Amino acid sequence: MTKKADMTEQETVLEVKDLRVSFKSIAGKVQAVRGVNFTLKKGETIAIVGESGSGKSVSIKTIMGILSRNAVIEEGSILYEGHDLTKITEKEYEEIRGKKIGLVFQDPLSSLNPLMKIGHQIAEVYTQNYKIPKAEAKKRALAIMADVGIPNPELRYNQYPFQFSGGMRQRIVIAIALANDPDILICDEPTTALDVTVQAKILQLIKKIKNERGISVIFITHDLGVVANIADRVYVMYAGKIVEQGTCEEVFLDAKHPYTWALLTSIPDMKSKESLLAIPGTPPNMIHPPKGDAFAARNRYAMKIDLKEEPPMFQVSSTHYAATWLLHPYAPPCEPPKELKQRVEEMKREAGLL
Amino acid sequence: MKQYFLKRVLAACVALFLILTLAFMVVRLMPGSVYDDPNLPPAAVAMLEQKAHLDKPLLTQYGYFLKGIITENDWGTSVKVEPGIPAFEILKRQIPISLFVNLMSLLIALPIGILAGTAAAIKKNTMIDHAISFLVILGISIPSFVFASLLQYFCGFKWEWFPILYEPSADMAGQLHSLMLPIIALSLSPIATITRYLRGELIEVLDSEYMTLACTKGLPHYKATTRHAFRNASLPLIHVVIPMFANVLGGSMVIERMFSIPGVGGTMIKSINQTDYSLTVATLIFYALISVLTAFVVDILLGIVDPRVRFGGENA
Repeated sequence: MTKKADMTEQETVLEVKDLRVSFKSIAGKVQAVRGVNFTLKKGETIAIVGESGSGKSVSIKTIMGILSRNAVIEEGSILYEGHDLTKITEKEYEEIRGKKIGLVFQDPLSSLNPLMKIGHQIAEVYTQNYKIPKAEAKKRALAIMADVGIPNPELRYNQYPFQFSGGMRQRIVIAIALANDPDILICDEPTTALDVTVQAKILQLIKKIKNERGISVIFITHDLGVVANIADRVYVMYAGKIVEQGTCEEVFLDAKHPYTWALLTSIPDMKSKESLLAIPGTPPNMIHPPKGDAFAARNRYAMKIDLKEEPPMFQVSSTHYAATWLLHPYAPPCEPPKELKQRVEEMKREAGLL
Repeated sequence: MKQYFLKRVLAACVALFLILTLAFMVVRLMPGSVYDDPNLPPAAVAMLEQKAHLDKPLLTQYGYFLKGIITENDWGTSVKVEPGIPAFEILKRQIPISLFVNLMSLLIALPIGILAGTAAAIKKNTMIDHAISFLVILGISIPSFVFASLLQYFCGFKWEWFPILYEPSADMAGQLHSLMLPIIALSLSPIATITRYLRGELIEVLDSEYMTLACTKGLPHYKATTRHAFRNASLPLIHVVIPMFANVLGGSMVIERMFSIPGVGGTMIKSINQTDYSLTVATLIFYALISVLTAFVVDILLGIVDPRVRFGGENA
């Protein structure tokens, strides 16, 4: 537990406060992000977990300043090194985007320029951003290709993306992000498009990079299985809001929000013989977000108040918070589903906690 | 790359041979004959036909035709349009001016089309984009001869900026001056086509993931656009611009007549009307040659620009 105590003392590198982002559309305003708060500390990995459409990627795009033109930042701030990223000019952003905060995309198959040599796409970072001469840039690009585990970088340097496999392309995308030597690396579902075996290797690579360079990582995923491997702290997002946050152990072993329960019981694994539980229904329409708790309609533990009033964040421990009325002192006692309990037992046994 | 190049050369040769054969057959199978003149005595017709091998079976005629081309670059002799002059000589005299008019119109079209297409793509869904797109629709849907007559009426007749017809006797500057109207008339449709294509391609590329990556790797937006978007958007343009050359030549047949430019187009129409076999076949083959050449150039350029095409043979 000492490791965790250290963490709370470490300095905060990025702080997102009450961020609200919406998109103008013909049908109305889509409220994609509705008041998100999170902090990222130096050398820490946080994971943001949620279904498709929960606002994870929009939050990340807001941080990177690459929102589409019809997006509006309604409210909130993103604090990085004393700057509020929602307020700075495009010119100032160019000094931060990529250079201080790097991004790894979901789909490595389409994120590399098909007509440019792999090596040039990396070396370009040095020559264009830092005015480093070409020969030196090539040397550094080769070094970083070796760093991210590209065998035979000399040969690979002059090849094109179509000559690379998905996993290798993702390594290149990571190399491009790292070439800037950023403080923060944001990974937006970096393994979703890859085979499971390749997934594990990419995760290891990200872990290794993080430890070697001491950078902070924000990991976006919809796969809780991936999170358990990599994150120090977890934020669970639903319908544009953080519904539960805590350390990895707290969220996996002692989840409080029914949505987190539902997510945890829907992870497929090798052991569970019982059928997988899918979450019924679909996420709400964000043009007209529901009154009260957005998850209420799909929640079998919903109470009357869930349909009327939005739950505040209840504190569970100094690091663990959840936004559900079930934590209110007046709420009837409620146990997580028994399938989840079995799984938690299983996880604890595996982790050697029992 | 060498293998790719050789394959393309071979394909072009095969295509040319097929076109040569087809052109010859189609023209010879047309009803009527050069010598279908009621005033000529039948004996004279028979004699003339024998001299031109027209009395032999079609395949034998084809043999003579091929032999003439290969051994002495003989493409036949004009009988009616310019009697007694070899078709090759007529074309040799007319090709330069046709090519000049067409190349000039494309040279004007390229920069204007690229500028307009880029402006429309970058200012997508603004007034600028809508205005450009409106003009593009006009340019694509109105045929070049309509533009040509409008230009002749306003710029030539009313305001007297340019001569209405081509002036072959004027000096270089005067000739160029009199060719301006046909060049402008011919360039409008290519401008519209280039604009439309580039706009579409550029919008797609600007929305692509690798453009986002170019931005998130720290490149300023203009650098990301110039380094990553333009090359990728110009690639499909090769598909459009170079074959356009053959299309413009087609359009110029009419334009050449309207401005009385002594080019290949006018000769082709005349030779077909007067059933001047050899000249028709020669002009047909000239047009075919241009088309095959442009297709060949497209393939080679694509191979140079797009590595996926270049390595395709070995890696796909």
